[in-house]
Amino acid sequence: MARFAVVVTVLALAAAFDGSAARAQALARLSVESFDLASDTQSPKADQPFHLIVTLRVRERVAQIENLNLPMLAQLELLGDERETTAGPRGTLYRETVTVVAHAPGTVAVAPATLQAIDARDNKPKQWFTNGVTLGVAGDTTRTLRAAGGAVLSAVLWLAGIAFVAALVALLVRRRGKRPPVIERPAASAPVETPQPVVARTHKQQALDALAVLRAERTRAAAVMVRAAIWRMVGASDGETLADVLRTRACADSVTRELVIALERSAFTYDADLPAAIEDACGSLERYAESAA
Amino acid sequence: MSAARPNDLAQALSRTIVGQDRVIEALLLALLANGHVLLEGPPGLAKTLACRALAAALDGEFKRIQFTPDLLPSDIVGTRIFDQRESAFATVLGPIFANVVLADEINRAPAKVQSALLEAMQERQVTIGPQSYALPDPFVVMATMNPLDSEGTYALPIAQMDRFLMKVNVGYPSREEELTILDRFAIADTQPARAVASLDDVRAWRAQAHDVHLDAKVKRYIVDLVTKTRAAGGVEVSAPSGDSLRVAELIDYGASPRATLALAFLSRGRALLAGRDFALPDDVRAIAPHALGHRVGFNYRLAAEGVLADAAIDAMIEAVPAP
Repeated sequence: MARFAVVVTVLALAAAFDGSAARAQALARLSVESFDLASDTQSPKADQPFHLIVTLRVRERVAQIENLNLPMLAQLELLGDERETTAGPRGTLYRETVTVVAHAPGTVAVAPATLQAIDARDNKPKQWFTNGVTLGVAGDTTRTLRAAGGAVLSAVLWLAGIAFVAALVALLVRRRGKRPPVIERPAASAPVETPQPVVARTHKQQALDALAVLRAERTRAAAVMVRAAIWRMVGASDGETLADVLRTRACADSVTRELVIALERSAFTYDADLPAAIEDACGSLERYAESAA
Repeated sequence: MSAARPNDLAQALSRTIVGQDRVIEALLLALLANGHVLLEGPPGLAKTLACRALAAALDGEFKRIQFTPDLLPSDIVGTRIFDQRESAFATVLGPIFANVVLADEINRAPAKVQSALLEAMQERQVTIGPQSYALPDPFVVMATMNPLDSEGTYALPIAQMDRFLMKVNVGYPSREEELTILDRFAIADTQPARAVASLDDVRAWRAQAHDVHLDAKVKRYIVDLVTKTRAAGGVEVSAPSGDSLRVAELIDYGASPRATLALAFLSRGRALLAGRDFALPDDVRAIAPHALGHRVGFNYRLAAEGVLADAAIDAMIEAVPAP
């Protein structure tokens, strides 16, 4: 199942990638400041809805965000999708909250969301990626307990209810003639649901996500997807080459340089060298995760 | 001599030539890709020295042909002369029969002389009288053009330029490099490094370069780059006036399929120079300006608007996202 999901997400990414050139003419001109994917829980329970939140900040004031593609959610059922665009003097904050549910316990890898736009800083058409998210879905213990002790619980509740009514009747009979003072009770306020904070994924977590994806699917397509995600993580954007990425400040240390070079190899080497290249990339991801804060 | 690497040759050339890394790389790529190089730059920038150093480092033969308006095709390829003692015609091979040939100021000779050279470059053989003669292998022509002094020159047509695998604009050295030149050459004449690799090594490297893997994504990137020169819609370049100009309106015709092949050959060669057996998008993008620049035909508007051809080429390359 996990293997199928990874393949589906990779195909979805590839499809989004191929279409980018054709849509380049209609792309919005944006200065992307941040583009993240988070979950309101890292360990959701089976059959209990949770939220995936895509947050995009751009410097421009725009009424709506277009060409933002959510990942294919093969292991999750989509229950709802809510979009909110807030434009202010410092730009626009776009937040898309996707309500999903997992029906089976296990590891769920959610691929990065993508955004295609013209980069306002250099007027080039680009594709941005969020981080990916890996979740551990736990079994729903409440449902099991409810099924097992449902009858007992029901009987206890009935008995308690009958006892409460009998006590109430006895109390009323004893105090007949005395009118109790009316006490106005304040109306109960509706419970306010505080929004869950967006969980920011650290570089270490993102590297571990990438490692999980690459270990689950040792294919060229998975390597290309992981490469794109790591490049996004180090601040490079789509359409740049290795030399561009190595010039970024994030690649000043040898561990990061080694990682992006290893991923480049796994994306472009010949088929016979691919297993060794992916193994090398996995090793580099491990070292990066160890060294990352 | 065995197991010499392409980088050994690069290091040997670097010991002789200060700076000019692009020229050195172009020479090595031409060797690996079995092509020829056109160098454009003012005199005195070590173009001849680079050729001579390459030939010396390969233990190959070097010839220089100074192109002038009165040069004849036979002055390049050779001719048949009558030997009175033998009472028969004898063939005298021209200076093109060398491993490294410097065609200096190629645009100073008329079209028929240029054609003679360019046909020999393409066919790798010349015909003198009734007989054809194969040129040596490896055979690399480095042609130079001086952009400063255009009076009395014969511009190379695009069709002729297309035969050069790459064109490199040779620039002036930096201040530090010029100080090094002063130290290295002011006291004594520096001799080029001798025979760090053999001609057999070059043939072996060429076979290795041929086997360098070119991923499908890299191939698509190459084709995207070349087709962008034919349909540069949406690409703009800044003119000195500050206006943005559509590059498509500055182009008469784009690069030929020969450019596609050149990009593939050069990318493989660059990967081999870097010690890789697979090419990266980086390789393609690094050599794209040199493989495409001389193959795109710009119209009068480019000059009228004061836009540099290199800037328009760079804008088209930048507009194609790397895979």
